Amino acid sequence: MNIVTCFKSTPDSKDIEIKSDGLLSLEKAEWIISEYDLQAVETAVKLVESSSGKVIALSAGPTNISNSKLKKDILSRGPDELYLIIDNRLCENDTYATATVLSKAIQKIGPVDLVLCGEGSSDLYFQQVGLQVGEMLGWPTINSVGKIEVSSDHLVIERDLEDEVEILEVYLPAVLSVTTYINLPRLPTMKEIIKAGQKPVIEWSLQDLNLSDIKTGVEVISLKAPDQVGRKNITIEAEPDEAAGLLINYLSNDGVI
Amino acid sequence: MATHEVWAYSEKPAFLAELIGGARVLAENLGGSIVAVVIGPRTEAEKAISLGASKVFLLDKNKESTMVEDYVPTLANLVNEQGPSVLLFGATKRGKAIAGRLAARIGTSVITDAQDFIYDQGQLSVRHMIFGGGAVRIEKALTQTLVATIRAGVFDTPIIDESIMGEIIEAHYVEPAWRMSCLEHREKKLTTSNLAAAKRVVCPGRGISKREDLALINDLAQVLEAEVGCTRPLAEGLDWMPRDHYIGVSGASIAPDLYLGIGVSGQVQHTVGIVGARIIAAINKDKNAPIIAQADYGIIGDLYEIVPSLIKFLKARK
Repeated sequence: MNIVTCFKSTPDSKDIEIKSDGLLSLEKAEWIISEYDLQAVETAVKLVESSSGKVIALSAGPTNISNSKLKKDILSRGPDELYLIIDNRLCENDTYATATVLSKAIQKIGPVDLVLCGEGSSDLYFQQVGLQVGEMLGWPTINSVGKIEVSSDHLVIERDLEDEVEILEVYLPAVLSVTTYINLPRLPTMKEIIKAGQKPVIEWSLQDLNLSDIKTGVEVISLKAPDQVGRKNITIEAEPDEAAGLLINYLSNDGVI
Repeated sequence: MATHEVWAYSEKPAFLAELIGGARVLAENLGGSIVAVVIGPRTEAEKAISLGASKVFLLDKNKESTMVEDYVPTLANLVNEQGPSVLLFGATKRGKAIAGRLAARIGTSVITDAQDFIYDQGQLSVRHMIFGGGAVRIEKALTQTLVATIRAGVFDTPIIDESIMGEIIEAHYVEPAWRMSCLEHREKKLTTSNLAAAKRVVCPGRGISKREDLALINDLAQVLEAEVGCTRPLAEGLDWMPRDHYIGVSGASIAPDLYLGIGVSGQVQHTVGIVGARIIAAINKDKNAPIIAQADYGIIGDLYEIVPSLIKFLKARK
């Protein structure tokens, strides 16, 4: 089974700076693998380990995603190859545009049986791209997949909804978005980290996908830090009994205990 | 151009009622009308009218199809035919799946978790939170139809008025190209956690070194009459606590009078879930932990010393 596992590269939210005018700056942010996509990668690697085929990692974004640390990081987690679609117009994070690019890339990559995506990105968490990729490819697609079992020519999956679990039969090729708790992604071993440097990385432009431009569905009008609730910011540094007593007094005066 | 139509859909009847309430606000601003989409029995369509919909598209449940997701092609057909201005979906997993696939078909993106709509000089835009609540983004649709998902509780449910008249139109079913067969439905056990409504919440984080130590947290919660939540690693990864107890961007959002974080570092993916707390208190041995800067009260120290002191004094107060 050949599996494409899509991942997003995102600026680390810890590094977001709020400027004096309330606008956000991502200039100093390190680009990392979006946290919840690691579960999709792990799912793909496990499925291939227990059958055959290969795992192909795929991401699209601005030139920031083409850095050696990020490439090594994703490949050390088990994928055999990495495809990156790079264009600076891919930074507005419009899900329609992202899904268009990913689905074109999947078609170009060749025979693919299964595409796995994370539940949502750790920065925007729109939870849309996997579903849109599936719809664009015309393949069966579903979200919130908590378990996947291979059963001869199809998959049996558990879909974890708010108040029920559905057991579904899915025929391939298909696009599935997995939950944040489907597994616990392994940490790369030293051996895998060294091996990662030798794995193939293929970089494509939009032109390589025969896309002259990318159509976006929405336009971002503004991006600002929310108005912060004023907090008292009282720091208590004292012996345990004294600190506990002080906190209880404060909370009691606030009427919350 | 025809009048603006604001469409609402949720597979959950109570959620649909809320969305009709939202559609009413939008329709008033846009000078348009409210349309509900119902996949199910005619009685639901009649109820949608008494909640304020002037028109209901009734997609009678096809016997072959077991999942509402099978109606995506039917919905896409209707949207292309009718050209509504706004489509509102309840932000359940199913709602997100249908909205996303439908948006892909009509060539747009979904604006997720819309918080409010801004109508200014003929232009409709939507405010929603991103970066785990670290930023507010305002967006407008570039297509004729704006597609948005709405979380529960954003809009008020209208009062039922049986005198409201409206028309019910049965929509033509479009056979989907593929279908998943549902082999089994399993009801989930309802959660025992009552975080959303709790007055006080105690929240352990990675500062807790082993599972048995949660007993200490439970003792504190008991004397504080608080619910216990947790950060994501404790529920997903360590599996020390049930998944529905974790607070954050992919988990629960809470608004208690008091939130007490114990050994919680305060990453934005967690703190987005507690912005609604009236008072935030935290115990952390690192005074540079992000939670301290976001707290009303931050005790710098060892939780294994401070929590027992807190329990002792709180018991003495009773």
